Amino acid sequence: MALAIETIELTKDYAVGFWRKRPRRALDRLSLQVEAGEVFGFLGPNGAGKTTTLKLLLQLVFPTSGEARILGRPPGDLDAKRRLGYLPENPYFYDYLTAEELLTYFGGLLGLDALERRKRVSTLLDEVGIGSERRLQLRKFSKGMLQRVGIAQALLNEPDLVILDEPMSGLDPLGRRDVRKLILKLRDRGCTVFFSSHVLSDAESLCSRVAILAKGRLVASGRLSEILAFGIRGWELVVANISDEILTRYAPRISRAQPIGGGRFALELPADASPEQLLLDLTARGGQLVSLNPLRETLEDFFVEQVEQQR
Amino acid sequence: MRTLFWIAINGFREAVRDKVMYSLVAFAILLILASYVIAQLTAGQDVKILKDLGLSSIAVFGLFMAIFIGIGLVSKEVERRSIYALLAKPMRRSDLVLGKYFGLVLTLLVNVGIMTAALYAVLAYLGWHESESEKLALDAALLDPALLKAVALTLVQLMIVTATAIFFSTFSTPILSAALTFGVYVAGFFSTDLRNFDQVVESPVVRTMARALYHVLPNLSSFDVTAQVVHGVPVSWKYMAVTIAYGFTYIAILLIMSVTIFSRRDFK
Amino acid sequence: MSGKSRRPVIVAVVAILLCGGISARLQALRDSMPLSTTDDETLYLTERATSRVVFTHRSLASDLYWIRAIQYFGGRSRIVREHQAEGFEPPASIAAPVSFDQLYPLLDVATTLDPRFNIAYRFGAIFLSARDPEGPGRPDLAVRLLEKGLQTAPEKWQYWHDIGFVYYWSARDYRKASEAFQRGADLPGAPWWLRSLAATMLVRGGDRVTSRLLWRQLYETANNDYARVAAQTKLLQLDAIDRMEQLQALVDRAAARAGGPVTSWRELEAMGVARGVPVDPANIPYTLLPTGRVALSEQSPLFPLPLEPDAGPRQ
Repeated sequence: MALAIETIELTKDYAVGFWRKRPRRALDRLSLQVEAGEVFGFLGPNGAGKTTTLKLLLQLVFPTSGEARILGRPPGDLDAKRRLGYLPENPYFYDYLTAEELLTYFGGLLGLDALERRKRVSTLLDEVGIGSERRLQLRKFSKGMLQRVGIAQALLNEPDLVILDEPMSGLDPLGRRDVRKLILKLRDRGCTVFFSSHVLSDAESLCSRVAILAKGRLVASGRLSEILAFGIRGWELVVANISDEILTRYAPRISRAQPIGGGRFALELPADASPEQLLLDLTARGGQLVSLNPLRETLEDFFVEQVEQQR
Repeated sequence: MRTLFWIAINGFREAVRDKVMYSLVAFAILLILASYVIAQLTAGQDVKILKDLGLSSIAVFGLFMAIFIGIGLVSKEVERRSIYALLAKPMRRSDLVLGKYFGLVLTLLVNVGIMTAALYAVLAYLGWHESESEKLALDAALLDPALLKAVALTLVQLMIVTATAIFFSTFSTPILSAALTFGVYVAGFFSTDLRNFDQVVESPVVRTMARALYHVLPNLSSFDVTAQVVHGVPVSWKYMAVTIAYGFTYIAILLIMSVTIFSRRDFK
Repeated sequence: MSGKSRRPVIVAVVAILLCGGISARLQALRDSMPLSTTDDETLYLTERATSRVVFTHRSLASDLYWIRAIQYFGGRSRIVREHQAEGFEPPASIAAPVSFDQLYPLLDVATTLDPRFNIAYRFGAIFLSARDPEGPGRPDLAVRLLEKGLQTAPEKWQYWHDIGFVYYWSARDYRKASEAFQRGADLPGAPWWLRSLAATMLVRGGDRVTSRLLWRQLYETANNDYARVAAQTKLLQLDAIDRMEQLQALVDRAAARAGGPVTSWRELEAMGVARGVPVDPANIPYTLLPTGRVALSEQSPLFPLPLEPDAGPRQ
């Protein structure tokens, strides 16, 4: 299986301090593999080294030691850059250009001929939801609109690998949904998507694999399903039309009961209890099922646990 | 190559849309027009003064443009982080530096051209009003093409300043780059005095230091032929060729250093 | 650091050194064909115009004009001395004859911009009174400059001393020199020897003892290298003149005995009159001219000897 991204003991030290330079290790021996065609989430709290890793992959900074390969080539390789797209965090482009002009400029840099350029620019702007604003100068764009332009410029060359740094940042829920849909569409096209984020819910819904970084070190990586204990830690049963009295009767089988108004209760049941039996009992007494959900350990729980360990 | 071209064109476009640039060009033209009025106040010397002021305005405003835009080209990009998206495109870092440089040179060419045209326009207007005998009494023709020699040398001088600005901006902040570039400019104008040090100073240590400094700093005053051109004293083509070649060599050094530094630095 | 090879840096350094070498040669080439300068190039504006235009940084501007004045004077002086050594081959850069016309205007501007510019007055006066061809030989302008200084700072006895000096050494007007020394001596804080100088002027003006006294004063009170060196040179030159007179006497006696001019030191040695080759205060041997006169060697740093007030023809 071809690797879209591979790092081997990748390390980056920054020299800090004015007189006696002490090294600060921003990334400590990161070894990572991203397979072609997958959606990979690169997670971690702020300052964990995610952006440093991305910069090392794009040769915006040079490694202290270790190796990286991007699309099978060393970082900075021109052929590799022709096949990848990059969205930086909080992108800033040129105030004085319009969205159209910016994409045309970048298209020129990518070597697209005039006709192809015009076509792609127009299509991409449509895809990211920028309509007539495309003729306005970028200085007039909101953060969310800039983010969309950023995504558009990352896709200009129909890349095989897309690297996104905090792609959801600055977007409203609608925007986030659009980006999610876009990422999935890219995946369906066979593109590898590598994105960094600290919004875990996005990773949960999109990624096949994740890596978690904290304080420059890799604390966990692998399939999402493997990382999260497949175990269920409980059930949440929401019922209506149940009286307090009935609940008290079944209290031993219920960990916690939360009234949520309108005669409804959210009941938390322990993992070993079989919820089906309780449900039958409650409905026999006139209760109505509203919803039944397994409570799994979330990525957030796992994340916090791992990061806490690093402290 | 192609990326270099695109970056240059975009640099030109950035400069042209910059409000400050417009103000500078407009102000320069205003000054040239104003010098017509000033010239009228000094009876008899008006042509000399007009040419002096005109050529000096072009040099001074050109300097401001060169420094101001020069630092913006790289420093500002790095500071604002727009350089990340740019460098992720398939280009070498050297393409970026050189592309920016040529974009700025193009801008300077256009602006200096505009200002020179304005100067010639004012001179032509003056000539319209002067009698034949007055014209004969002049040191040099009103619409003297030798003025272009002075402008050409000024242009090369500005290209040196620009290269200096780009050099500093490969590793320092915009404000520091501007200050250092201006410092080098001022020092460059006094570099001839450095060479004359060994005529006045006895200590061999100071003499060697002065001589070393003379070669390291750009000798900018040698590009200033205003005094000659205004008085109709001929400037030989040989002088032009040697001085311009010197300028280009110095620029080459600056660009090599800029490309080397820029290619090896981290963008935090 | 991985990911960065050293090779591009080496190539770059080599390229830079190459270009540096080319650039230095081009500079030298260009400097050998300087533009013919128009004379007002060094003095862009008249003195009054300058002081009106330069309202800020007056002090700095005055410094610049002063530096230009030094370079103007120093450069030309040196070229003149080179002419004398080589035989009057003017270089392409300065059209012959060497003129010092701009010196006074430069000094005038510098002192107008900064009326208390002490060294500009004092050294300016020295430069202006330096004898032709090494200097403009204008003691009148030197006095005028110093009098200008006195307008702003009438308490400066040093300027009166310098005026006296100019009258004594350059203009050889002993009466005026004495008057100047007296005016200076009258000022509060003036040293005692100004008055004695004034008196000596009247009585003995023009002999070597007084000259020595004046130069010694300058040597001891000077607060910068240039003045000290100039004074020291003059003192050594006076020593040389003394010595040369002694030698001349010896040589003349020997010539009388030999019946003809003596033309080499060896001859003298052979006659038992002198021992070894006499050297001047700079350790360079004196020469004997074919005419039998003792002369200072042209290789000596003390060459040429100054023309003394009331002395004979220059050696």
